[in-house]
Amino acid sequence: MKKDSTSYTVWFTFVVSLFFVLLLAFANELTSGRVAANQRFAERSAILDSLGLKASGVAATDEAAALSAAALSAAAVQDASTSEAVDTVFDRSVSVITADSARFLLYKAVVDGEVRYAMGFSGAGLWGAILGVLTVNADVSRIRGLSIVAHNETPGLGGRITEAWFTDQFRDEQIPPAGIRVRQGSGAGDTNKDNGELDAVTGASLTSKSIEKIVNAQISVFRSLFEQGGLQ
Amino acid sequence: MNGAASSGKNKAWAVLRDNLWWNNPVFIQVLGICSTLAVTNNLTNTFIMTVGVSLATAFSSATLSAMNKAIPAKVRMITQVLVISFYVIIIDIVLRAYLPAVSKSLGPYVGLIITNCIIMGRAEAFARSNTPLLSFWDGLTSGIGYMAFLMGIAAVREFLGFGSLFGFKLAPPGFTPWTIMVMAPSAFFLVAMAMWALKSLQESMTAHKKGGKK
Amino acid sequence: MSTDINPLVILFASVFTSNILLSNFLGMCSFISISKDAKSSFGLGLAVTLVMTITMVVSWAVLKFIVEPLNIGYLSFIVFIIVIAAIVQMLEMFIDRVSPALYLALGIFLPLITVNCAILGAILFMQIRSYDFFQALCFGFGSGAGWWLAIMLLSAIRKKVDAAPVSAGLKGPGITLITIGFMAMAFIGFSGMLAVQ
Repeated sequence: MKKDSTSYTVWFTFVVSLFFVLLLAFANELTSGRVAANQRFAERSAILDSLGLKASGVAATDEAAALSAAALSAAAVQDASTSEAVDTVFDRSVSVITADSARFLLYKAVVDGEVRYAMGFSGAGLWGAILGVLTVNADVSRIRGLSIVAHNETPGLGGRITEAWFTDQFRDEQIPPAGIRVRQGSGAGDTNKDNGELDAVTGASLTSKSIEKIVNAQISVFRSLFEQGGLQ
Repeated sequence: MNGAASSGKNKAWAVLRDNLWWNNPVFIQVLGICSTLAVTNNLTNTFIMTVGVSLATAFSSATLSAMNKAIPAKVRMITQVLVISFYVIIIDIVLRAYLPAVSKSLGPYVGLIITNCIIMGRAEAFARSNTPLLSFWDGLTSGIGYMAFLMGIAAVREFLGFGSLFGFKLAPPGFTPWTIMVMAPSAFFLVAMAMWALKSLQESMTAHKKGGKK
Repeated sequence: MSTDINPLVILFASVFTSNILLSNFLGMCSFISISKDAKSSFGLGLAVTLVMTITMVVSWAVLKFIVEPLNIGYLSFIVFIIVIAAIVQMLEMFIDRVSPALYLALGIFLPLITVNCAILGAILFMQIRSYDFFQALCFGFGSGAGWWLAIMLLSAIRKKVDAAPVSAGLKGPGITLITIGFMAMAFIGFSGMLAVQ
């Protein structure tokens, strides 16, 4: 078969494609367990973080990070209490309540002697969906935590909603009757927990406004659940 | 590529020297610009990305060089793309399984390694007419030349834009971050200025050596 | 889980406020080299817009009806590349048959588009953001048009810049990048126009 003949070309392309695709399928199979575990770790970590429960920031499958965390912990640089595995803390402290009106599961946990409720949300950001978890106290008067699971915002700008200074603003923030407001501030985080206002990300006003809309929408969901007696 | 070196070791050294300096893929050949601009606002991402590109280029070049005699002319480009895609997907799978945080922050830019002109460029220019081992080396060193340049840009952008390096806060407390460094335009300016400085340096180095290149 | 962003907003944003080239840095290589010449820039921009729109829609369909049901998400890259290569090939043959003059004008550009990172990049963004059909269509057309706009603007500016006395180290790609940087800054000024949701 001559190298440039049509039949050789077709045969060659087919065999080479098949070979590489099979290798990829094999590689995918090998790692699918870990990928699924990573996914679950990310979701559960977000729920725990939003609730205010401490757990290891290291996935069981992330050996490199586990090694460095162990080293830091041994050197007494890092608090040992944060080394408990996410699954352990989750299974022990969090119970799942199915709420009929919601697309997402409702989670309940007792943290610092108080009952808290967490629920995942998905809302429209500037560039795609923003997924996260919002936690409130039992009478929906204060936000207890916000964690962002996934987003498609601009890295370095809207993407900064995942940074600690931004999400920490929401912890223990009072919820005014009209909902919280995200507005332009110092860009370093609003420390006043009673004004119901949060600092937007500098240079990312649209993404910040999206967060405001999404959080307020989730607060409404919690409020209607509360009124229906769903939060006990 | 210059150098009439005959022995294998000399050729390898010439390849290293060219890909790192005289014929650097980014500031001389002007390849791989897209990713240079996109991921360099953060040193950690830049590092992982450039390691990925280096490995993908090295393995693709080596594989294509080995397959050289068997590839029909009509599907040369498609085969190159297929092999490159294969290695990039492997890198993506490895990241998602073992370094999920990095995978998330690199996002679609991992897939874009496939269209990184450096990989295609080396496949066309080098792998077609060299041995697999040398092609691997050429791919690896091209990637390292790319890495060196990008890390320099990223260091400036991350430090001025976030006050940190590799995520470690290094700037003094009163430091106001230069938000522009995190945004698109700064990348263009920084790359242009770096190109200017490095190319001028090369010109004066060449002028200094009477009788042309080494 | 597709989002509720209005397709027209996506269209506007992908041309101006989140221009595939000036904000997302995709499609640089041919952008820098071809923008020297206005006529080629026009031709390439047209080709990119055409290819981008068609491949976006086809990729969306392939994603929805083949990749997702068969659960072969990890092969997405290869699937998209094959779609792009196939469409470019078919487009080449179609243009050659319908208008040989246009085929001659576009010349070398069509095969080069296959490896233009803007095409694959835009498709990957579409996948990540889970756009529905109309959003994908607007995003594809908008991204292509945005790229076309950028290259036309740059070629016009370069006519003047390339004639100006520029230091040796900066000539060519260096000064072009600085020019693009200013364009990028200018385009950021559009971002206040968008009223989202």
